[in-house]
Amino acid sequence: MATAVGTLDGHEAVAARYHDVDPVYAETRDLRLTGFILFLLSDCVLFSSFIFAYVYLRTSAPAWPPFVGGHQLPWFDTSFAAFNSIVLFGSGVTMHFALENWKHLNKRKFNLWLIATIILGLGFLLGQAHEYSVVGISWAGSTMGASFFTLTGMHGFHVFVGVCYLTILGIQANRGVYTGSKYFGLTAGTLYWHFVDVVWVALFFLFYLW
Amino acid sequence: MTEAVIEKGAAFAGAILVGVTALFQLKNDWAAQGLDALVTKILLGLMAFGCVLALLAALNVLGARA
Repeated sequence: MATAVGTLDGHEAVAARYHDVDPVYAETRDLRLTGFILFLLSDCVLFSSFIFAYVYLRTSAPAWPPFVGGHQLPWFDTSFAAFNSIVLFGSGVTMHFALENWKHLNKRKFNLWLIATIILGLGFLLGQAHEYSVVGISWAGSTMGASFFTLTGMHGFHVFVGVCYLTILGIQANRGVYTGSKYFGLTAGTLYWHFVDVVWVALFFLFYLW
Repeated sequence: MTEAVIEKGAAFAGAILVGVTALFQLKNDWAAQGLDALVTKILLGLMAFGCVLALLAALNVLGARA
């Protein structure tokens, strides 16, 4: 099989390896993929619930940012958020590169891109921690603070889980758990990371640009 | 040069770099088949949209407060 695949170009070789698995694995891979996408959709519902609550609170408030104790709360720092967003979006691209290199059997580059993804994810979390320390509002006392900390905190927790998840995937990949044909875990990790990126697109718009 | 200008400059350059790379990857993967490829394409497209938002924020088109 290796010789036959070697005669094909990159994408065809990847597709040939993808299908070069036993029928039981192929079937369970499809089922696991469906299950994982359903998990992402359920997570999407969770975020949507909180987002709609925030939109309701904001549109029904007489003024935004709201007044607390006679003073209007400050707007969030858009310039830092834009920079931090790019750090997270950049990690999505590096994760995509990591998976592509695994599919093309380039383990060294896979490791490099995966490490870059983890570093960028940690960088985003540090950025969020910095933002929390200077934002000038608190969880209690205003709908703005409660919405902001609930949604960005929940997202930050997802990023943290993602960083742990990717670290475990990296260890597994280097221990030979995945092959050029069987790498569902890496696919799921990449989808999860892209999902976390896309949730941030919505939060970035709602809290910083709207 | 203020901190905000540096952050916006970095966001501007990063948004172009990441956005163009995401779109390029989207183009490369356009012919890929399967549910995972479909979801990846949707998520990559949305991420590129996020880069456009960050770019507009860096240019003060969006999120500029009086």
